[in-house]
Amino acid sequence: MNRRIIAPVIGIVAFLGLWELIVRATDVRPFILRAPSRIVSYLLDNAGDYARAAWVTGMHALGGLLIALVVALAVGSLMAASSFLEHATQPVLILLQVTPFVAYIASVVLWLGSGTPPVLFITGLVCMPAFAFATVDGMRGADPAARELLASVDASRWEVLWRLRLPSSLPSLFTAARYNVGLALIAAYLVEGGNFANEGLGNIGRRAAALNEGDALWAAVFAMALLGTCFLLLISAVQRMVLHWHVSQRPPRPNWG
Amino acid sequence: MVADSSIVEFLHSRAMSRIVVRDLTKVYGDLPVIDPLSLTIEPGSFVSIIGPSGCGKTTLMRIVAGLEPASGGMVQLDDATPAEARSRKRVAMVPQQPGLLPWRTVHANARLLLDVNTAANPPDATDPMALLEEVGLGDFLDAYPHELSGGMQQRVALVRALALHAPLLVMDEPFAALDEITRAEMRVILARLVEGRGATVLFITHSISEAVALSDRVLVSSTRPSRMVADIAIDLPRPRSADVEDDPRFVALCADVRHALQAGRA
Repeated sequence: MNRRIIAPVIGIVAFLGLWELIVRATDVRPFILRAPSRIVSYLLDNAGDYARAAWVTGMHALGGLLIALVVALAVGSLMAASSFLEHATQPVLILLQVTPFVAYIASVVLWLGSGTPPVLFITGLVCMPAFAFATVDGMRGADPAARELLASVDASRWEVLWRLRLPSSLPSLFTAARYNVGLALIAAYLVEGGNFANEGLGNIGRRAAALNEGDALWAAVFAMALLGTCFLLLISAVQRMVLHWHVSQRPPRPNWG
Repeated sequence: MVADSSIVEFLHSRAMSRIVVRDLTKVYGDLPVIDPLSLTIEPGSFVSIIGPSGCGKTTLMRIVAGLEPASGGMVQLDDATPAEARSRKRVAMVPQQPGLLPWRTVHANARLLLDVNTAANPPDATDPMALLEEVGLGDFLDAYPHELSGGMQQRVALVRALALHAPLLVMDEPFAALDEITRAEMRVILARLVEGRGATVLFITHSISEAVALSDRVLVSSTRPSRMVADIAIDLPRPRSADVEDDPRFVALCADVRHALQAGRA
């Protein structure tokens, strides 16, 4: 097995081992910190429930990410095309990024009702700015020689967008996707907890917190961590396929001059 | 290497472009870049413009290619303005940086200019495959640009322009970023591809030997604002090989260009 797999596994095992050791060596009370072995065994005992809930949350996060991506590509293309639009849109996007969305979950649930719609709405909303900024950056960074070349044969705006600008924004979009995964999962979890739909890890977590069921709560936290890891692995796999031509995907190799 | 005879025949059949520049000026703000400039470039001739850095030759090329408006005067490519010629895809450009799209293969990159504004493609537009083979890239059709050397990348850029079958080729220091050995190689490849092709070539360069080896005519520009201080006919025989540089007339012509450049600086 290669080092890129072994090293992260060792890192996580060491982290959990240290955690376990601290809990056993000191007499810390379980409602403050419980041993990972205990959390994992609870999670395994209730694997079916957690797997179903994780699937729901995963789909919520994925749906939100895709909605955010589609909207951001449109918004970002417009921003890249007009600096007036860019300057007008930028502060709104920044507001979206810095405002704690937890504060308006209740309002959105009242507006859109319970269930999936408010989850997708908020998840999409909070992930959109990073994708939009990445789109603008990538499109602005398109090779000037290639832009000039396309201009020299009078390529249409649409052709330049499709043939040059969109592909140029892919690397920064993947970077934004990695950043957005955490945000999407957190948003999905929190809105699930606040929308009375009785599904998803967020719902398990909210109930467990209300009923003081520490094991159930921590098992939800572990399930979220696993889910996030799966998302990042998935993004890496897609990135390797789509960006095989990009410098980030190449192993370092000796320069023979 | 012997080119496929049908290709040669086809290349011969292409129209050429006469470039007429009359009283052309360009100013950026208060900064004059091109002083009133008039010149005529005969159809099918290979004309180099050589001059010091920042003398406005790239600006001249961009105006001819229709990428930038002139401040005054006029430019005519046959019966068309540069903007019209541009929208009819009658001008093929080879930029200084190859500008290859990293996500396209060599073959797809060579097709790029045919894939956009397709309505203006010449009716006899063909796949650039044969041209790629002719410049020695036949084994690299499915390679990506990062797998190529600088010289190979610039050969793709050359084919991409030639594949348009445009009557006017404009090249802005296309070999400036290459090492000396590769430049010499590219010179021979370019001479072979362009000779007998019939296209008019406007070639911008910093290199005296490159200009003399390739051209029918070398225009020497002064420092900014651009003014043509010399117009030197290069009557070396064609077809030209790498050996042309051993010809004593070549050496003498290079000296003429060098002296004109010095005069233009004064």
